[in-house]
Amino acid sequence: MDEVKLRCELGVLTRPDGSVLFSEGETTVVAGIYGPVESKINKTLVEKACVEAYFRPKSGLPGVKDRLNESMIRNVCEAVIAVALFPRTAVVVVVQEMQNNGQLISCALNATCLALLNSGIDMKCMYAAVTCFLDRSDSIVLIPPADEREIKGSFMFVFDSVEKTILASHTEGSFSIDQYKDALSLCREESTNIFNFFKKALTIK
Amino acid sequence: MVEDVNENTTVFPGEVIKDVKAVKGVTILGPGLKRNEDPPNTLRITRAGKLQFKPPNIYWVSHNHKRYIPKRGDLVVGIIVKKAGDSLRIDIGSGEYASLSMLAFEGATKKQKPDVQVGDVIYGKLLNAHREMEPELVCVDSYFKAGKMGPLSNDGFVFTVSLGLVHRLLDPENPILTALGKVFPYEIAVGMNGKVWVNGRNTKEVLTVLRCLETAELHDDKVIVELCRQSK
Repeated sequence: MDEVKLRCELGVLTRPDGSVLFSEGETTVVAGIYGPVESKINKTLVEKACVEAYFRPKSGLPGVKDRLNESMIRNVCEAVIAVALFPRTAVVVVVQEMQNNGQLISCALNATCLALLNSGIDMKCMYAAVTCFLDRSDSIVLIPPADEREIKGSFMFVFDSVEKTILASHTEGSFSIDQYKDALSLCREESTNIFNFFKKALTIK
Repeated sequence: MVEDVNENTTVFPGEVIKDVKAVKGVTILGPGLKRNEDPPNTLRITRAGKLQFKPPNIYWVSHNHKRYIPKRGDLVVGIIVKKAGDSLRIDIGSGEYASLSMLAFEGATKKQKPDVQVGDVIYGKLLNAHREMEPELVCVDSYFKAGKMGPLSNDGFVFTVSLGLVHRLLDPENPILTALGKVFPYEIAVGMNGKVWVNGRNTKEVLTVLRCLETAELHDDKVIVELCRQSK
């Protein structure tokens, strides 16, 4: 099976503490991390850092779908960053969409992981997000089919680097339980490649 | 996941180090490491970077940060952002502003306070830095002497560099600052927080120092020394 080609460039932005230009196949995003910074008074948490995520679409104002991406990014980041080490502060995650070819959420999540690693903030583990698609012929593929009408369903899973457990999942479309299990095992296999890519990207630096 | 304890191996968050060396049951942990309870006597990595070990028992992970996290005893360069009664609020580039008492300067009394304004630059020491509390700066040592600390001249120029470069510059054996000093005289205060204050005879020389440190971010020490030698 063909693999999704991953590319990244670390530290592309000068102002954030950690930044990355990341592309997964044709899908591309830029992510930046600021943190720990002073948080707004109404959002301050006494016992841990507050994670704020902002997802900017390619054009126009952020809509409902972007809010969904924001909440997914925020939840995963909050689970992974050692938030208890930075009480009364905020960690701000900003993701700018540049190109969407189907696996936007997983690309955004992988970019935030690389940006977090680039910023050097304390984390409990790394994470990798993988998207796969169920096409008309009921086969599960990692590369999005060229024709959008070919897609019957899509699966997105986020795995941690230590025990390879699921941190988050998101599915669209209709599928059977067996197809879901197949997709899960395929994504888990693929996550190893992504972790290896992260390690290679950070070692070369 | 188990990593061998090798100096300069690149490590990633979540990895576990076994066989930790200890002296009388004591291991000193620097940034990027946490004690791990589950298998006893192991360490968990929390940052991506190079694992460093200094015999007999000191471990840390080195990473080129941009964001400063206050540590007690660090000498930092900060900018006054607010004057409130007897205390000053100083921006030291961390998540929170540090506080500096007007009485924490050499020779300062209730009646005779130092003449400082908002926007002035201060070189001071962190007396207190705990994650639950606001960082506290002082400009005197334990004998109430200022030493090199206190307000820095307004003629100078302040800019920010990465924390990795700060650690390189503050190494007494580092040749960059001495090589630059042989070309022309200048004054410099390098704060552990990444803020650097420079003063020279004229603007051109100050900018040369700035340009030189920007180059040092990306290149080796040798490149800078060579450039200084050529320009002499």
